[in-house]
Amino acid sequence: MCLWNWRRRTQGRGHLDDETMRVFWTLLKKELRAFFVSPVAYIVLALVMVLGGVSFKAALSVLESAPSEGSIVTWTFHAQWFWLSYFFVFPLLTMRLFAEEKKLGTLETLFTAPVRAWQVVGAKFTAAMVLYVVIWLPSLGNFWLLDWITGGKVEIPVGALRGSYLILFAMGIFNLAMGCFASSLTSNQIVAAVISFTLSVLHFLLGVFALVVGRRLPESMVEAVHYVASVEHIRLFTQGLIDTRPLIYYASLTLLFLTLTHQVVEFRRWKL
Amino acid sequence: MIHVHELTKQYAGRTAVDRLSFDVEAGEIVGFLGPNGAGKSTTMRILSGYMPPTSGMAMVDGHDVFRESLEVRRKVGYMPEMAPLYHDMRVKEYLHFRAELKGLRGRDLRHRTGEVMELCAVTDVRRRVIGNLSKGFKQRVALADALIHRPKLLILDEPTNGLDPTQIRGVRELLRSLKEQHTILLSTHILHEVEQTCDRVIMIHEGKIQACDTPRNLTRSLRATSLVHVELQSATDVAKELEALPGVRKVITSKTDKGWRAYALRVESQTDIREGVLDLATAKGWRIRELHRQLPTLEDVFVELAAADSGARPFG
Repeated sequence: MCLWNWRRRTQGRGHLDDETMRVFWTLLKKELRAFFVSPVAYIVLALVMVLGGVSFKAALSVLESAPSEGSIVTWTFHAQWFWLSYFFVFPLLTMRLFAEEKKLGTLETLFTAPVRAWQVVGAKFTAAMVLYVVIWLPSLGNFWLLDWITGGKVEIPVGALRGSYLILFAMGIFNLAMGCFASSLTSNQIVAAVISFTLSVLHFLLGVFALVVGRRLPESMVEAVHYVASVEHIRLFTQGLIDTRPLIYYASLTLLFLTLTHQVVEFRRWKL
Repeated sequence: MIHVHELTKQYAGRTAVDRLSFDVEAGEIVGFLGPNGAGKSTTMRILSGYMPPTSGMAMVDGHDVFRESLEVRRKVGYMPEMAPLYHDMRVKEYLHFRAELKGLRGRDLRHRTGEVMELCAVTDVRRRVIGNLSKGFKQRVALADALIHRPKLLILDEPTNGLDPTQIRGVRELLRSLKEQHTILLSTHILHEVEQTCDRVIMIHEGKIQACDTPRNLTRSLRATSLVHVELQSATDVAKELEALPGVRKVITSKTDKGWRAYALRVESQTDIREGVLDLATAKGWRIRELHRQLPTLEDVFVELAAADSGARPFG
């Protein structure tokens, strides 16, 4: 009865909500399509797979050479190779999003159709996020393969695996949002990529710097430092320690950058 | 259909559109005419809901372009200058995408896409990638996009820009056939174009309306003079005699060829002196092989208006 009432009440507004979601879907489909018809998606996929394989191999070598505290999961995400792929993925995925539309002049056709700016920003960001998830999926195969080949002799901690992919996702959406913002600032894709790369690296270095300086800081500030330190987040999560603080940190920064992107895209509407 | 009142748009201190006011009735084809940078595109962008005016008001079919932007965009089919399109999409795919964005769905979407492709003659290239199409086709794909949601008002920014003469004629015929269902506001530099297609012309220069009338009235009320060309055979130069005719302001001798002399007579536009020339020739015994009047075109009006304005401000 209650459910029936609720449905009847929402049906009045339903028309508008359907329409809004439909526009979002249309835009999302178009963005995803654009990723897969251009070579970018495949290049990034190949890059991440190769570097993922290399860092997995590096992790295996570590475990092979001496007994170690960390598991295979921890060592995989701690290899330098992993960070190499990490920084290149975001500019490559996001540089095209707004810069290309600006260059072609298609923002004008887009915004003279009955489309809201947040739908456009949301669709572009979501498309990049979907692709990001797709790109990391094959790396799961490495762990599965190892388990299959060794017949379960190597221990693969499920908790650590969950934690790793969770933090990878959280850090991913934050960097993608930063990339979206970079792309909305310029009509040149290369410039967008450079801005996005710089922002990602700066945030990473801020974390490293904080960790180094943090040792000399008073106790109360050390805690604050840990909020920004991506390296530290990775270390904890790959051990299976799932902490909500970094998750909320990345989620709120993602929102912040998406809001900024929205404001930049809407700039022409409020500049007078 | 369109009501514009005291519309002003400023960019970083520069006034692109300066207190513009005009109205367009439903079913009219109105041409926006002006040199580059006159404020045509800016006005059209405001009317299509792309950006807000600095001050003033613009209404489309009773909706304010800024406050009810989404409503306005549903009613307007806008084709920007240079026809921007996604180069990696195929024609049919692009039109499907645009139709979906504009709220068409299902059978209606497929039917309407087919219809506009037929109308704009792009059916043959529907499977081709837009980036590989010629300029003319791209322009027509953009036009098909503007038409697809059956808008009440079509705003076309230089729809014939970059087309060859045959294609221009095609677009002109298409616009005339669209007049039944749509109100059309188009901009162009090609004055001939406006004379052929538009019911009314709004001439704008440096953000201000210079003239607003039917093409015929504009040329009629022209301050400029018309030309009468005459080619005749006489023993001597007869420029003096021709100049003595009433209404003639100036005679220009353009060429002589084996006794045939060609003259161009600058005449006040309201007077017709062709009979006078013929009578004079008969009286003097000259042989005539050409006599025709060249009516002032919108181009003359345009050049004159632009010149009159920039005369006050050199290099403005």
